[in-house]
This record gives sequence, C-alpha cells and structure tokens, in this order.
Amino acid sequence: MFLTRSEYDRGVNTFSPEGRLFQVEYAIEAIKLGSTAIGIQTSEGVVLAVEKRITSPLMIPSTIEKIVEIDSHIGCAVSGLVADSRTLVDHARVECANHWFVYNENMKVESVAQAVSNLAIRFGDSDDDGPAMSRPFGVAMLFAGLDKSGTQLYHMDPSGTFLEFGAKAIGSGSEGAQQSLQESYHKSMTLQEALKIALTVLKQVMEEKVSGSNVEVAAVTPEKGFHRYPQDEVEAIISGL
Amino acid sequence: MALEMMMSGPDYMRDPRKHQFSPYANNGGTSVAIAGDDFVMIASDTRLSRGFNIFSREQDKVFPLTPKTMMASSGCWADVLTLNKVLQARLTMYSHEHHDMMSTTAVAQLLSTMLYWRRFFPYYVSNILAGIDEEGKGVVYHYDPVGHMEKLTFSATGESVSQIQPLLDNQIGGLNMLGVKPPTMTKDLARQLIHDAFVSAAERDINTGDGIIIHTITKDGKTEETVKLRRD
Repeated sequence: MFLTRSEYDRGVNTFSPEGRLFQVEYAIEAIKLGSTAIGIQTSEGVVLAVEKRITSPLMIPSTIEKIVEIDSHIGCAVSGLVADSRTLVDHARVECANHWFVYNENMKVESVAQAVSNLAIRFGDSDDDGPAMSRPFGVAMLFAGLDKSGTQLYHMDPSGTFLEFGAKAIGSGSEGAQQSLQESYHKSMTLQEALKIALTVLKQVMEEKVSGSNVEVAAVTPEKGFHRYPQDEVEAIISGL
Repeated sequence: MALEMMMSGPDYMRDPRKHQFSPYANNGGTSVAIAGDDFVMIASDTRLSRGFNIFSREQDKVFPLTPKTMMASSGCWADVLTLNKVLQARLTMYSHEHHDMMSTTAVAQLLSTMLYWRRFFPYYVSNILAGIDEEGKGVVYHYDPVGHMEKLTFSATGESVSQIQPLLDNQIGGLNMLGVKPPTMTKDLARQLIHDAFVSAAERDINTGDGIIIHTITKDGKTEETVKLRRD
C-alpha cells in the first residue's frame, strides 16, 4: 500500500499517476467513521434523522447538534468531523441570508448545495479571500429543503460532489442503511411513513438501543418549514416501530 | 485688456475661483406604468433631450429584462445605459447560477439593492419596473435613485411626474373625489389613460414629447404600440 501511494497523499491537490486525489479519498473515508444520518424526501416534506453517539453517561446528549437549520426552509444533517461542518453550515447560512437580502426570495436547495460545494473544494488554495482550509473538509452533508420546485434532498461529500436523492444515508451505518432505504422507499410515501422508516433504519444500524435521547429528528414541510421533533414525539414514533 | 487690468488687476490678484465638475446630465424623459389583474402596461415618451437641445425623437426608455419583466428608466442617460447593462449582466449570472429565470419580485429587490449599493454616488435615474408576478398578476414597482422601492398598481416617474401622477391618482386611485369608486383596470382604459397623460404632459413640459411607446406584458408575452406626440 505504501508503495503505490508513495508521496502522492502528501499534497492535498496533487494527483497520483493513476489520477486520484488521495486526501479527498481519505476524507471520504473519514465520513464512514461518523454517526449515521438519514434523509428521506416525500411529497409532504423531507425528513432528517441522525444517530447521536453518547460516549459517556455524564455527557449531556442535547448538546450534540448534528441537524442544523440553514434557513427557515432548509435543514442540514451532517456526519463526519462535525467541527468541520460548522464552517460549511455558517457559509450556507450566510449565502441564504444574502440571497434573501438581494432577491427577496428563498434560496433554492440546489443553489445552497452549490454554494457549500464551492467552499468545500477551495481547500489547499489561498487567494485574495485569505487562506483557505488546508485539507478537505471531513464531512458529508444532507440538505433537506423546500423551494419553487418542491421538496428536495441533496447530498454532498468532501469532494464537493452534490446530487439529489429520494433517500440517502451517510456515516458509519450508511451501507446497510442505504440498502434498507432502497427496499422501503417509494415516491408516494407520506411524511409519517418516512419518519417511521428513518427511525426503523436507524434502529437497524445503530449499536446502541434507539431511544428519544440518542437520535435527533427534524423535518422541512410546506406548513412549518424547518422544525425539530421534540424528544417525546420521537419516543412516540420509536414505541410504534 | 488694459481696461480689464485696471478694473480688476491681473489674474493672480483676483479671488480664487473653483470650477466644479458636474458628473450628471438631465436628459429628460417620462415613464408611466399601470397594472391590471392579468396584464401590465409600461410606457415612456421617446424624446431624449438636454436643456433646449433634442438628441433623439425616437428613443425608447423601456428595457426588457425577462419575458415577464420590463423597466423604464429616465434621468441621466449615461447612468440609464450603465444601470441597464449591469442589471442585464446580473440577470444572466442569476440564470446561470440558479438554472431559472428571475421572478419579477426578485428583479424588483435586486434593482433596489443595486441602487442602494451606490448610495453615495447614485445612478441619477428614475425607475419603474413592471411585470407579471408569480400569481400571474400585473405589478408595478417605483424607485427613487437610491433604491427606495414601493409596490404599486400604477405609477409615473421622470420629468413630467408632477403633471401625470396626480392625474393617475385621481383617475385610477379615485383620489380627491367624493363617492367615486375606483374603476376596474382594463387594457383599453390603461391605454387611454397613458395616452391622455402623455398628451397633457407634452403640452406643458418641453422635455417630454415626440412619441410614446406603450409596452403590454401578459402571461402570453409582450406587445408594443407606438403613438405620436407633439414634436415641438
């Protein structure tokens, strides 16, 4: 392994002779260490559900925040190096606020993904805007939102690639979770069904027993925009699984 | 020369005098826009002038922005052209960035933002924006040169605003009359009012005249009509 990858994984923007950027690939590997996050898009809204790893009984679970609000119409779930995601989330929020300021309209979900992607691939190059991130961001993100073209779910990885999905899982349990989603996802799903499926899939892939305090659930709907589900509502869904 | 020297002394003994450069010109022009339930009309006169000089008798001052939006600008013609060029560039950038045509409301806000960016060296222009909104209704936005924006159903701006606006307020807004209900706006009525307004303005204002170009926007597209005004 060291022979084939010799030296080409040092510089973040150096291609190997086979045409690969190892640091970007390693960053994608870093996502696979992160906690599982799931997004499901339905015509009634988009659901986000994330596993919270409670590593100590002394830890306060409510301080883990892996689902964040970008704007009132867009939510975002992250997996990987959560600290890295703060920079990207902050950028997304600024872009949304600026778009509202200039155009008096909500920014499209795709445009937000594009804006975040632009920042995510700026690693390694410093220019007039100041020094950039010295390495790829070690996070994958799920953007759940609502715009002119309806409900949408976008996934972005450390390479800056972003794609639209019906349902997507990221993080350590993503392989199994994606398989389960493929089996249970259909286009005419209700929001309630999506919530149930998201938590069922999380339950399957989580090492801990799923509870109201070790998962975070949120949704974006036409009626309420971005909103989180309080612990008792999450518990009610879990008990019905 | 000798006499002048005796009266006021040589150059270097005179009071210092400052000659200031004025960056703006007033090239006249008047615009009117009237919105209806499913259409909007926007018109401007076709005279381009400065003081007692006429530069053109056939200059349309209404610019197409999107298939659903148009803007009428008058004031300093150089600024009108530049503002329009920058706005066109911003519209193109938007459509590339967001894979979509800008809505009338978005263009309206963008114009306000762009004007306010020049708060301390403004574009010397009076703007009206007319378009069809997301619900298919006609809308009119009125601007001051530094970007204050107001959403209306009818508005006048430019050189003859003080002649035309009170007329529209009375005839469309039903203002200054007792027991009068404002009329339902139709294309015929809007066209007639625009014609009358410009004829009256051209009678009194030397910087408005020659002709009118009336643009109509509906969900099906745009049409335009040219009407003659007095040319003196």
